Amino acid sequence: MGLKNNLLQIENISLSFGGNAALSDVSFNVRQGEIRAIIGPNGAGKTSMLNCISGFYRPQKGRILYKGVTDLTQTPTDKVATLGIARTFQNIALYTGLSTLDNLMAARHIHMRQNSLQSMLYWGAAQREEVAHRHAVEEIIDFLEIAHIRKAIVGSLPYGLRKRVELGRALAMEPELLLLDEPMAGMNVEEKEDMARFILDIYERRGVTIVLIEHDMGLVMDISDRVVVLDFGVKIADGTPDEVKNDEKVIHAYLGQA
Amino acid sequence: MNEPQTLPQYFLKQVAKYGAGKIALRQKELGIWREFTWQESYENVRLFALGLLSLGVQRGDKICTIGDNDRQYLWGYLGLLAVGAAQVGVYTDAIAGELAYIAGHSDSTFALAKDQEQCDKLLEIRGQVPKIKRVIYWDDKGLWNYDDPWLMSFEAVQALGRELVAQEPDRFDTEVWLGQGDDQAVLCYTSGTTGLPKGAMLSHRNLVTSAAMFQQVDPRTDTDNHVSLLPLGWIGEHALGIAPHVYTGIIMNFPEEPETVRENVREIAPEGILYNSRLWENLVGMIQVRINESTWINRKLYQWFLPIGYRVADKTLHNETVGLGLKLAYQLGDLTMFGPLRNQLGLSRIRTAYTAGAALSPDVIRFFHALGINLKQVYGSTEVTGGLTLHYDNDIKFASVGKPAPGGDVMIAENGEIRLTGPTIFQGYYKNPEATAEALWQSEDGRVWFCTGDAGYVDEDGHLIYLDRVKDMITLANGERFSPQFIEGRLKFNPYIRDVMAVGGPTRDFVTALVVIDFDNTGNWAERNRLNYTTFVDLAQKPEVYKLVETAVTQINANLPPAGRVRRFVLMHKEFDADEAEMTRSRKLRRGVLYDKYGDIIEAMYAGAEAVSVKATVVYQDGSEGVIAASIKIAALEA
Repeated sequence: MGLKNNLLQIENISLSFGGNAALSDVSFNVRQGEIRAIIGPNGAGKTSMLNCISGFYRPQKGRILYKGVTDLTQTPTDKVATLGIARTFQNIALYTGLSTLDNLMAARHIHMRQNSLQSMLYWGAAQREEVAHRHAVEEIIDFLEIAHIRKAIVGSLPYGLRKRVELGRALAMEPELLLLDEPMAGMNVEEKEDMARFILDIYERRGVTIVLIEHDMGLVMDISDRVVVLDFGVKIADGTPDEVKNDEKVIHAYLGQA
Repeated sequence: MNEPQTLPQYFLKQVAKYGAGKIALRQKELGIWREFTWQESYENVRLFALGLLSLGVQRGDKICTIGDNDRQYLWGYLGLLAVGAAQVGVYTDAIAGELAYIAGHSDSTFALAKDQEQCDKLLEIRGQVPKIKRVIYWDDKGLWNYDDPWLMSFEAVQALGRELVAQEPDRFDTEVWLGQGDDQAVLCYTSGTTGLPKGAMLSHRNLVTSAAMFQQVDPRTDTDNHVSLLPLGWIGEHALGIAPHVYTGIIMNFPEEPETVRENVREIAPEGILYNSRLWENLVGMIQVRINESTWINRKLYQWFLPIGYRVADKTLHNETVGLGLKLAYQLGDLTMFGPLRNQLGLSRIRTAYTAGAALSPDVIRFFHALGINLKQVYGSTEVTGGLTLHYDNDIKFASVGKPAPGGDVMIAENGEIRLTGPTIFQGYYKNPEATAEALWQSEDGRVWFCTGDAGYVDEDGHLIYLDRVKDMITLANGERFSPQFIEGRLKFNPYIRDVMAVGGPTRDFVTALVVIDFDNTGNWAERNRLNYTTFVDLAQKPEVYKLVETAVTQINANLPPAGRVRRFVLMHKEFDADEAEMTRSRKLRRGVLYDKYGDIIEAMYAGAEAVSVKATVVYQDGSEGVIAASIKIAALEA
């Protein structure tokens, strides 16, 4: 396993809020083209880890190398998206007053090349660009089976569908690395299965590398290639689902002292 | 060119007529309506048909199709017919077991399946359907990692066809012209209420004739649009979609997804449409909710103009002239309210809308006519290629299912059963001569009739009235039959009536009814009419309330054969209650319990008494019991 395959190299990350250590000396890697899960009990630091990768939090120590060159801990948040990293949030963050279509189109702005004046005139190259973006967005709408809510205002949609729209918006950015923060939280079994299928399709069809946080252990074990386990901000296990499942420290962290 | 007989022959005729100059079909894809000309459609059908030949399809083979209505389904349909195979439509949501039964029983040699979902079902039942040589899918989403050679894409079949075209450019047309009108075109499995589904065999002639019959009553033109939304497992789409498409050249429109159908209908605004009765009922509810949530002005317009719409509808339906004042008022209503509402429903260009399936409430039909939508009832069955009776323009009776289509005929058998005949009568059930013999009956003049198992009668104007299933009819002492459910259903459309049980039987001479008033609606009505009341019994026993219900019963009676009319009724002193086992939790009557419990009342009605005293034990919600004692009146109506 050469360093070349590592899309993300997370090295000795420590993050604390005041005196509270959220992450202590956490290191792991994410390989190109895998589904990598981060699991752990409540408060283990999973979302903090994701926030460090996407540049929302600045860790006090350590570095996160993207493609072996860019240190994400030193990259401005708005630049992270242009590097090909997209994410979804635990508590859905969409423009609730806009339609599904507009939410997805908004995500295309990082790929838009025309200046404001051209866009306002909506002529020539600007129009062609808009058509191309709309096509890309429609492909995603078809892919995620949300054509029936294309023009619905996102705020009026049920939770499960909003989760799907948020995933669609992340996809619209055409990321190389997709960070999913509890994509299946609060869903019923059928919605979870749908979402799992979409995640697998994204991974297989679009070749996107995926890092996901999830509570539903069964699903995580089913769809991930490798799992890293955090507990109280410390990495306690790292390996394939089978390895992790049988790790004593993991069993201890989840089930308490036996 | 000979006179066309089969669907593909008609298709070729249209292709020759329109070629690349006219749209044959549209499909919404990635948010855009993509258009395909007759020439493009022809190319696709031809390549698919020849691909099937390369794969070894023989004339007389059966090919089952399971998947949403897409353009590939149409091309696949016409393609397989072109090489002499027959189409077996399966409902998209059929479970693997049903699919296994239909694919197996029909001896299908190939299956057309839309996507991963359907392919998975077929893979699951592969062992049970050894005759299926290949599964042809047309949407590869999720199938990228399947490498089973049993599965093959639609394009791959067409690629085989392309090779054959190069060798034999005329092969396709030759194959098409080998077809005969009596060749089997469709095998349509009917969801029998008892036993396993039966495969009704329909010929090309059946389908073409059905299209021709409807064309005479409600003409379609080649600029008409049809939205393909009915499932292929049902006869409706074959008879009202595909057959007219090749017969008259109506444009087929395929929805983007099953979930977007309503929106897509609105975008296309078709000239004709068929919904089942449940959907029309849902639409009424939806309209009322939307109006209530709408702005003040919209609500007012609706309140002002709906009664005018009703008046105009009643007059036009009875072929009476509409006065100038009323006409002007209606036109104003059309401009401000009816027009926009029709547009919302996607019915702005509708010339004829059909309802089929269970009987639709007359109120619902009248409502849509008030909105300016020409809604007609169609009645028939798979075995007669869909509809055989329908309403003609300006001759619509709400309670009827119309008159026979040109060339069709209806008779009522001695047991009250509706029998149908005409050129669209089917060829029999596939591999089931016993069931075929049971379903068909030959009259003295040599005509063959299909026995529907439905009970009904033909009224003085020649309209067919559907009552009920024959087995659910009750015979009276004088040998006449009546349908309790028909009477109950019609009476319950009245807002003041909550429940009804119609009573009769082999020892009874006429029909009587136990009627439960709707306490809320009747109470409101009483308050508006300054009528004082205390309890449920008190309200129910008011002479004015009796008058109110009597009017409703008289109206229903007018639509019933004399022997089946309600002659006596009582307004019950209490509601039928599921807690007392009088009804099921889903509010179906428990007739046995009610007969026992209210035997005294029923006997009094038949004895000709004017009133009967009742004592009822009621169980209160806290579990305690109380007794209601009252005298309830018996209303008698003229025969």
